[in-house]
Amino acid sequence: MVKLLSFEKSLKPLYEELKEKRKNAQSTDYIEEKIAETLKKIYSNLTPYDIVQIARHPDRPHTTDYINALFTDFLELHGDRKFGDDPAIIAGIGYFNGKVTGVIGHRKGRNLKENLRYNFGMAEPEGYRKALRVAHLISERFKAPIITLLDTPGASPTIGAEERGQAEAIAYNLQELFNIPTPIVAIVIGEGGSGGALGIGIADKLLMLKYSIYSVISPEGCASILWRDASKAKEAANALKLTANDLYKLHIVDKIIEEPAGGAHRHREEVIQAVGKEAQKALNTLSRLSKKKLLEKRKEKFINIGVYNE
Amino acid sequence: MNIFKRKKKIIKVPIVTEEERAKPVRCKSCGRLISYAELKKNLKVCPYCGYHFRMTAGERINLIADEDTFSEIDTEVKAVDMLNFKDVVTYKNRIKQAKERTGLDSAAVTGKAKIGGFDAAIGTFAFEFIGGSLGSATGEKITRLIEYAKKRELPLVIVFSSGGERIQEGIYSLMQVAKIIYAIDSFKESGGLFISILTNPTYCGTATIAMAGNVVIAEKGASISISGPRLAKQVAKKNILPKLEQAESLIENGLLDIVVDRHLLKSTIVRLLKYYNRRRI
Repeated sequence: MVKLLSFEKSLKPLYEELKEKRKNAQSTDYIEEKIAETLKKIYSNLTPYDIVQIARHPDRPHTTDYINALFTDFLELHGDRKFGDDPAIIAGIGYFNGKVTGVIGHRKGRNLKENLRYNFGMAEPEGYRKALRVAHLISERFKAPIITLLDTPGASPTIGAEERGQAEAIAYNLQELFNIPTPIVAIVIGEGGSGGALGIGIADKLLMLKYSIYSVISPEGCASILWRDASKAKEAANALKLTANDLYKLHIVDKIIEEPAGGAHRHREEVIQAVGKEAQKALNTLSRLSKKKLLEKRKEKFINIGVYNE
Repeated sequence: MNIFKRKKKIIKVPIVTEEERAKPVRCKSCGRLISYAELKKNLKVCPYCGYHFRMTAGERINLIADEDTFSEIDTEVKAVDMLNFKDVVTYKNRIKQAKERTGLDSAAVTGKAKIGGFDAAIGTFAFEFIGGSLGSATGEKITRLIEYAKKRELPLVIVFSSGGERIQEGIYSLMQVAKIIYAIDSFKESGGLFISILTNPTYCGTATIAMAGNVVIAEKGASISISGPRLAKQVAKKNILPKLEQAESLIENGLLDIVVDRHLLKSTIVRLLKYYNRRRI
């Protein structure tokens, strides 16, 4: 049974009934229909903080799931050639719809053991340096476009990360990604956590799954800074405008990729294929642009962001 | 040149009221009492232990720019509340209070000045304006300053004193980091010199921007961190030792060029500008 989120509690008896019926080999059509109906009702009325929880659901498809499903002959490349190899970032090259394409993303684990190994998807400076090294390699040597998959609570905030230059690593990535000569499509598939996400998030097109988030700070972090109380995360989530719908209205996101009611963790295959389809569409449009035009447009996209009075 | 932009001398702002001025200040590091006049005379550095107090944007410009040479640009760019953000107080209110208290319209003061006789584009974050946080208006001003420097082939000096992105502007504030980094990159590409100066504190996105400097200078004891202490505490569930993110330890890790005492900050910048300007003659 999928782990139910706090706002899905009304589904618990239905799922139990379903389990019971399956055990007794009875027809489950009716109950499944009822679950779908309830899900539809719940998912048509989500608060931003509910969406935050969906984005963090442990069963939500992660970068590795997308790579396994959408890429063939994927070859993972390791290491930053300076200090180490950060498992929180996965980078490599393979065939995407029959074309050589690079992919870079945050790696989250499915359980605690994996998550400890991947540091919950929070990358160290080595991870960002690896990402950039591979991006250069893919675009300049293999002349291939790049898909980046964003799913991180944020950059690793440890002492070690600071000492090895987390700020410098991210700054250098932002600067250099503007000059990568092949198309980049970034897709937020779960949590887009601030600089940690932006560090591999400079792109020509930014797509977002419907129940993913992208924010300058986690709602909990925001609450602990502005409210001085981390339990005010719900209010913070409302105020931050971090859902795909909000960001589309703010012209930050180019396209929202739909998710069925129940979220990607209940419809994994369907959502993964939808992401693949939209990524291909975006790459198709971008591949028509000349290199000069591509880089110009990428820069324009970011230089125009901001609202102020004048 | 520049006749369409309003020129304005920097406003001297009474961040410290007259009443407070009369009272001695307790040093946050050694705990000794210092008279405000004495502290001011010593460039807001504790005369006993060398602790660097925060400076306002006005004080900072006066410290670095030659007397009466600073002319401000882009004063018309003002912070707005585009998301209708509300935490314990509304963002509108925060802006209003900050404006009244500081006389500034955003957390950046930018302009042109002479430094040791050399023309330079200079900008500083104003910590007194909502923690010097980086919002759209601040980001736009810094970006324009960089473009201003590029167009006129001036060396660029930016002083960081900021808690990071302006959370109240949500994703817009994060994107300012990308925007400014891009502007810096194209400035550096054109052959420009960007001297970045990190003061206490430089956190989160502004730390990222600061690290893009050609020469990265930090003031003694400056706290520099990509996550910021409060966030790191909330995420890592433990205190990151304050000592470890200070300039003195970061330079050992190879992340900074120079750590200077505030008294030597200007002369260090001037030396760099001297070496830089030499190449044109």
